[in-house]
Amino acid sequence: MTNTLDEAALAVVVKQVLLAESRLRMDPADLRDDEPLNGGLLRVTSMGFLGMLIKLEDVLGIELPDDIFVGRTFTTVDDVVQAVRGRVA
Amino acid sequence: MSELPKQWQSVLPHLGHTLPEDVAPPSSGEGVSVNLPMELVRQSLSQREFWDIPEPVLEQYRRYRPTPLWRADAFARAVGARVPIYVKYEGGNVSGSHKFNTALAQAYYYRKAGVTELVTGTGAGQWGTALAAACAWFGLRCTVFMVAGSLRRKPYRGTLMRLLGATLHESPSPLTEVGRAVSADRPGNSLSVAIGEAVAYAAERDGCAFAIGSGETYSILHQSVVGTEALDQLGALDAKVDAVVGCVGAGSNFGGIALPPFAAAVREGRPAPLLLAAESSTTPKLTRGVYAYDRTDSAGRGPMEAMYTVGSEFAIPDSHSAGLRYHGAAKLLSAMRFHGQIAATAVGQADALSAAHTFVRTEGVLPAPESGHALAAAARLAVDGVRDRDADHRTTEGVLVCVSGHGLLDLGAYDQLLAGELHDEIPDEQLIRLATANLGRPR
Repeated sequence: MTNTLDEAALAVVVKQVLLAESRLRMDPADLRDDEPLNGGLLRVTSMGFLGMLIKLEDVLGIELPDDIFVGRTFTTVDDVVQAVRGRVA
Repeated sequence: MSELPKQWQSVLPHLGHTLPEDVAPPSSGEGVSVNLPMELVRQSLSQREFWDIPEPVLEQYRRYRPTPLWRADAFARAVGARVPIYVKYEGGNVSGSHKFNTALAQAYYYRKAGVTELVTGTGAGQWGTALAAACAWFGLRCTVFMVAGSLRRKPYRGTLMRLLGATLHESPSPLTEVGRAVSADRPGNSLSVAIGEAVAYAAERDGCAFAIGSGETYSILHQSVVGTEALDQLGALDAKVDAVVGCVGAGSNFGGIALPPFAAAVREGRPAPLLLAAESSTTPKLTRGVYAYDRTDSAGRGPMEAMYTVGSEFAIPDSHSAGLRYHGAAKLLSAMRFHGQIAATAVGQADALSAAHTFVRTEGVLPAPESGHALAAAARLAVDGVRDRDADHRTTEGVLVCVSGHGLLDLGAYDQLLAGELHDEIPDEQLIRLATANLGRPR
């Protein structure tokens, strides 16, 4: 995959990976942007998040920079999309 | 003349099995955070075999690497070895041990990630010293929680860390909830308490990250310079070994010396050498522990990992080898042990320091007490062989052993050896069973 994804397509990719991490089978379009990462629906732990980052790199064909996640807390789906967005735009 | 490796080598592609996934600590419900630079995440999870060592890290490595490897004939004769013993010595840097190899790498990656201070827990003080030096090199602040009993025995370890710019705290300390709880309730498992304090301390400060010196897959990767170099040096000597020995606290020096020869053998379709882990008889996780999910620190703030363990709350008997007094082995080495790829033997401190004593008189290097365990195990293997899990292991070609650090700051222990005051306290079987009874087993 190239680094020319628009934001909507990027959000779909991020949601697919988040759903896979939470072992959920549902349409990414039905996952709200403000859905909590660790709430009633998604179950993304810190450990799962690490593996998810590697999957995102593989799927998007990018290498996320070292400083992208250190010291930040991600609460919702959109937090992840926005963090990755600047790296693939 | 051997050359400094330009790449680290991962054993993960050669294992033939995957590591059990970690289990996350209970969620606080406040979102998800990652305090690990991306490259360390990749190095932990990827199946890539070779990783370029960043030039700024190589630049530091060049100050003390390649480290020496030699055929220790005088030591071999003194112990009655039937085969040659080759020694790889990692004590010749400012930290005095192999720990510097990963400290430099971690400090580099954390600084690149925008972290301004690294915090850690240390037992013998080798890791704390290594991290203090690496932070000084890369312009980071450094805070170290050191096991109080160990610091009292080795005050100059503390001096060295402070000289290198680190802020040093005795653990248990009143600075963290973890330390206060231990002081009030129970003696605790000293190193995992120090680590727990460091985790808690780092979590409460901006720009701060917790760094760990041994046990994580990325730190074992960084230590592969030891084994890669050793293979090159053995080749230059036209020497053959069929056994590799290192001491195991969590396992980074053992992984460093043993896994590159293992990977080379798998890659070339040869039988792997015997990999013999020498652990302290005070902390016999590999020989008497269970393979289970356990905490990596006493506070349980980090993940639960599948490991051979005597229980994170097990009160480990005192010894002079604080670096080996960690309740569990690295998940990578534990998985290899579970799959029969690693043998293990437990060594008492009297035997370990006696072997180290023989070594300094014959080879002119004073090993750290931890490294004495590796030398005692190597001698045991080279003389009579070692029995482990109902199998007899013998060597017919030669033994490669890592002397992971020097013992020049451990002279109090050697004083006790000379005075005949050393004794070994062997953990009670029932206490180990109690400390591990409620741990979940990997599927």
